[in-house]
Amino acid sequence: MSVITVALIGTLTYWIFFVLDPYILSWQCLNRPIVVAPILGLLLGDFQTGIIMGASLESIFMGISAIGGSVPADALSASIVAVCYTILTGSNVETGLAIALPIGTVMASLSSVVLSFSSALAPYWEKLAVSGKPRAFLAQNLVFSGLIYPLPNVIIIFLGIAFGVTGLSNTLNALPPFVMTGLTAASSMMVAVGFAILISMIWSKDVASFFFVGYVMAKILKMDSLSIAIIGGAIAITMFFYEKQLIDVKNSMVVSEKKSPDDEEDFF
Amino acid sequence: MDKKILNREEKKVLKSMFIRSHLTFLSFNMTKMEANGFTATMQPAIEDVYKGDEEGKKEAYARHQNFFNTHAVPFSFIAGLSYAMEKEHKQKQSVDVKTIESIKAALMGPTAGMFDSLFFNCLRIIAAGVAIGLCSQGNFMGVPIFIFLYGITQSILKYFCVKYGYIYGTSFIDKIFSSGLMPALRKSASILGVTMVGAMTAGIVNVPLNWTVQMGDTSVVILDVLNSIFPGILSIVLVLFLMRLIKKGRRPVQLIVGIFAFAFIGAIIGIF
Repeated sequence: MSVITVALIGTLTYWIFFVLDPYILSWQCLNRPIVVAPILGLLLGDFQTGIIMGASLESIFMGISAIGGSVPADALSASIVAVCYTILTGSNVETGLAIALPIGTVMASLSSVVLSFSSALAPYWEKLAVSGKPRAFLAQNLVFSGLIYPLPNVIIIFLGIAFGVTGLSNTLNALPPFVMTGLTAASSMMVAVGFAILISMIWSKDVASFFFVGYVMAKILKMDSLSIAIIGGAIAITMFFYEKQLIDVKNSMVVSEKKSPDDEEDFF
Repeated sequence: MDKKILNREEKKVLKSMFIRSHLTFLSFNMTKMEANGFTATMQPAIEDVYKGDEEGKKEAYARHQNFFNTHAVPFSFIAGLSYAMEKEHKQKQSVDVKTIESIKAALMGPTAGMFDSLFFNCLRIIAAGVAIGLCSQGNFMGVPIFIFLYGITQSILKYFCVKYGYIYGTSFIDKIFSSGLMPALRKSASILGVTMVGAMTAGIVNVPLNWTVQMGDTSVVILDVLNSIFPGILSIVLVLFLMRLIKKGRRPVQLIVGIFAFAFIGAIIGIF
């Protein structure tokens, strides 16, 4: 099998799993090394290597979790490149595994750049959603997620397998540093816009102080979100019964006000 | 709670919502995260509830385009619950708009934490452990076993989540409304919602300032100085500043362009 054929098969597999993973079954299921590597091995004609590499890659990437939006290393691209490289060069499994982690790191930082550009589309999606054309909204979203969004990654994966991994990291390093720093900074601040919109919907003077209570519990007391929810829930439930009492009192006053004219009539 | 019997229309909507709820990460982006997936999931519900009410439909779509982020399984539960709340809002005016927002905001943080630890950090490790054991001996069965243990179980759970989110949501709201306690629920939901949003701000919003000022022989790291005043003060300032701009009527696209410009200028002059 020629290099280009392997690169094409590898890239196509990457594309398919990249798109399918979050939409079929659940997040981080189909794109795990344990699933991808055996299937890619099967496609490239070396099933056994694929299965063995799947097991090893999964044990490397199992502990690397992606919680809170930032991904330290991308398991999918690392598995694809490592399996292609091993089968292509006929080298031992260990060499293939050694290049897996650097590739994963490079792809993870590339993904965050692509993600920061896709943030700029948020206002467009909102406009489309509000326009009242549900079919157009779904169709355009599917086209974007399936075809346009994966494109930069797909191109990089193809070039990486066909022309070597070193060329890839050299190109990224050749960019002026402010480009990457700027994009990373923009990406990490972008979520503030979404938050600001959400807060402006539920913000009101009588409960605003709880924003800071929640902030302090998370940031300074370093509590996890379930504990914060329990404390917040306790306050909310107390408040609920307090308000309930007020409502009950108000209702009973309305009832007694209604009664009072009769009483007066009786009195006079 | 008495068992609510779903009619044909509701069953159809819930089935469509279940299938669409797999689109959790549709056009995922850093600004609103899972908002597009949530809107896509809510579409059958909104089309059903606001049939023939174009204005209400638009408002509902805008409501569910807000920032949303949680694990894929509770995602379905919150979607089912939102269907119930939208229906009550439209038909009986029992739930007001702000309560819908607050309940969504209150639920996303803790459910994300809970289900991430349950599925991503626990079940996934168990499933992968079993699969790695089989695959390292060259046995292909590891792959379908992993997919079944980690993927199919979540999909099945999503089905029940969307259904019971709707059923229990409806009966809960009816009970509260008929006893006249809606203002109390509104207040407590907004307290919990605002608290959780504050907690999420601390965890997710980050201003990556990397600015060192040379003062004679000593160098001062500006971020450390600011954080010693109050940890993460910049995140709070950024979010509240943006909120103020939104309340003044600035459009989100202006804010996004502004942040890009700010980040690049900052990177060029070297403060990031």
